[in-house]
Amino acid sequence: MIKTRVKKILVAITAAAAMGAASTSYAEEPIRIGGIYILSGSAATYGEFAQKGINLAVDEINASGGILGRQVEMVYEDSQGKASVAIQAARKLVYSEGVDALVGLDSSGVAQGMVPTMPELQKPLIITHAATPDVTGKLCNAFTYRISVNVAQNMKAAALVAEKLDATNWTTIGPDYAFGHQSWEFFGNYLKELKPDVNLMSETNFPRFGAEDFTPFIDRVMDSDADGVLISVWGGDLVNFIRQANNRGFFEKDYELLFTVGAATEVLSALGDEMPEGVHLSTRYWYDAYDNDVNAHFVKAYVDAYDVPPSYNAEGAYAAIYAYKKAMEAAGTTDASAVAKALSGMSMEAPNGTITFRKGDNQAMVSPNWGISGPMNSKYGIRTLTDLQIFDGEDVARSIEETGCNL
Amino acid sequence: MKIKILWALLTLVIAGLIAVPWIASYFYIFIFTEILILGLFAASFNLIFGYTGMLSFGHAAFFGIGSYAMALVLIYLEWPFVVGLLVSMGVSALLALIIGFFCVRLNEVYFAMLTLAFGMMVFAIAYQWRSVTNGSDGLAGFSLGSFGLGLDLTLANPAVYYHVVLAIVVIASAVLYLVCRSSFGMILRAIRQNPERVSFAGLNVRTYRLVAFVIAGSFAGLAGGLIAPFLRVASPELLHWSMSAEPILMAILGGTGYFLGPFVGSAVFVLLETWITSFTESWMLVLGIILALMVIFFRKGLLGTVLDWWMEIKK
Repeated sequence: MIKTRVKKILVAITAAAAMGAASTSYAEEPIRIGGIYILSGSAATYGEFAQKGINLAVDEINASGGILGRQVEMVYEDSQGKASVAIQAARKLVYSEGVDALVGLDSSGVAQGMVPTMPELQKPLIITHAATPDVTGKLCNAFTYRISVNVAQNMKAAALVAEKLDATNWTTIGPDYAFGHQSWEFFGNYLKELKPDVNLMSETNFPRFGAEDFTPFIDRVMDSDADGVLISVWGGDLVNFIRQANNRGFFEKDYELLFTVGAATEVLSALGDEMPEGVHLSTRYWYDAYDNDVNAHFVKAYVDAYDVPPSYNAEGAYAAIYAYKKAMEAAGTTDASAVAKALSGMSMEAPNGTITFRKGDNQAMVSPNWGISGPMNSKYGIRTLTDLQIFDGEDVARSIEETGCNL
Repeated sequence: MKIKILWALLTLVIAGLIAVPWIASYFYIFIFTEILILGLFAASFNLIFGYTGMLSFGHAAFFGIGSYAMALVLIYLEWPFVVGLLVSMGVSALLALIIGFFCVRLNEVYFAMLTLAFGMMVFAIAYQWRSVTNGSDGLAGFSLGSFGLGLDLTLANPAVYYHVVLAIVVIASAVLYLVCRSSFGMILRAIRQNPERVSFAGLNVRTYRLVAFVIAGSFAGLAGGLIAPFLRVASPELLHWSMSAEPILMAILGGTGYFLGPFVGSAVFVLLETWITSFTESWMLVLGIILALMVIFFRKGLLGTVLDWWMEIKK
């Protein structure tokens, strides 16, 4: 009896002190958000950068009173880039850790497997990286949202870039899973529409995701008639690819090269000046591209915390947490269905401008960035992007009918 | 007397398993579903390993092909679940017959290497035949229809699916157990101990080994048919040679000498994985240490050691 009373007093004192210090409320249980990213293997830096973005958002939100007066707490699981692992991880997060919402997914293959299970889990998911059009297309559902650019949007932009180039014989080098194949498919279709006389070569190159050796594929392209190459290799694979392509003299030939996720700062930092100049690089978000207060604040806070500029994956993850904040506050609850409903059609200020989760397919209308690799940025040790183009998110998106999504 | 106690214990365990959705937290429904399916996979493997003495490194080929068969049935044919399971068993039995035909001719390390080679071939086909298997992404996005047999079950409900898996695994295990206890099973054990003597007795060792291989393959296929709807994806990892290592580890962990050993191994494996990955990423390191200790000090596995000790005392 006395013990409990002492405890109560102690708690009261601590709470008062804490409230006085940070004006935060400990009255309620924290809101828990589950994050599923690749945290091991050749693409683990993506998971790490996403965590950095999320942690920044969570710290900011918690310092300013949390969401609905409750603190935010993250729980992470490693997807290992495998759908079955990610599905188990999601079940663990929802049923064992009791999370209120989910963010994450780095791989299209993982997203294709996991998204159809979301209606069973009955929790909202905001995808921050995985780009397969299907999850906001034929596999869409009321619980799945995406805050990052998808393959269809980015390949529409890529086709608009390619339209102005001289190349006529196009081929691709891409990872041998949904992302690589779909990138080529969408790029080819859009380009053919814009420029019917281009030749989409039948010899394509799809090395295994995580393959160490890309030289056979590089040699095959160099032996062919190709003069334009769409390269959708990403992550640690792209770092290996660029180094091996440098050794082969690939960049001294006169190819028009489009790297669909080449301006990921994870890759640019790893490569430094090994990344060639004068190639077309895309990213879902370039830290230097947006002149608005949210971006200015985000980039500064990120650089202060981690000494490198934020990557697109960090930005998507950061923005997703704020999307939940806004949706939960609009719904006035963390109830999953209410939050999912609030997300649908919601607009918010993100580092990459005002973005809207489109009603109808839950895809955020976000703008792909394309540029040409330029001189080194000596401060960060990465290539700069010149001739930066910011495509309008709405213009490059498929119409809802085209997505095949039926919500 | 002791046998009676064992049966009573087993009944209690099964009763406990039936009650899992009501007594354990919701998440453990998934854990126990996985334990049961992998346990059946490991038990099917133990028929050829523990009983017949053939160490196969390609058993995941049958598990994986069963999962692909189920996924394809659910996606394209939308047949009832039970029919899908029969297809899974049939397809993997056929594959086991083909692979087994070549493999049972060889002994020891050559047998192991050949099963490994066939396993990798099956993996390569699943990985590269994109138009059918969807390549490295695997087959996903299928919905669970009816169960069949006129039963009205919502398979998408994890608790229902768990009970379905429990029922099927119990029935399948009972069949496997009868196989092991039959005169056929006795001959398999004799083959493990001394194949020459068995063949001097006028029995065709090769045929017995092939039949055992096919039975084991078809039950692995059944387990595969159960895992695809559970994971919601049939992916090449299920056929990879590293997946073939799992039933070996489970059989050794639990004990190869007892029929239920692989199930105990599966439970330990899955539970440890779940708990340890909550603390550290290096679960494989922990597993490696445990396995090394098991092999050095408890060759009979967990169940084997406990049962032998219990049978020893108070005779």
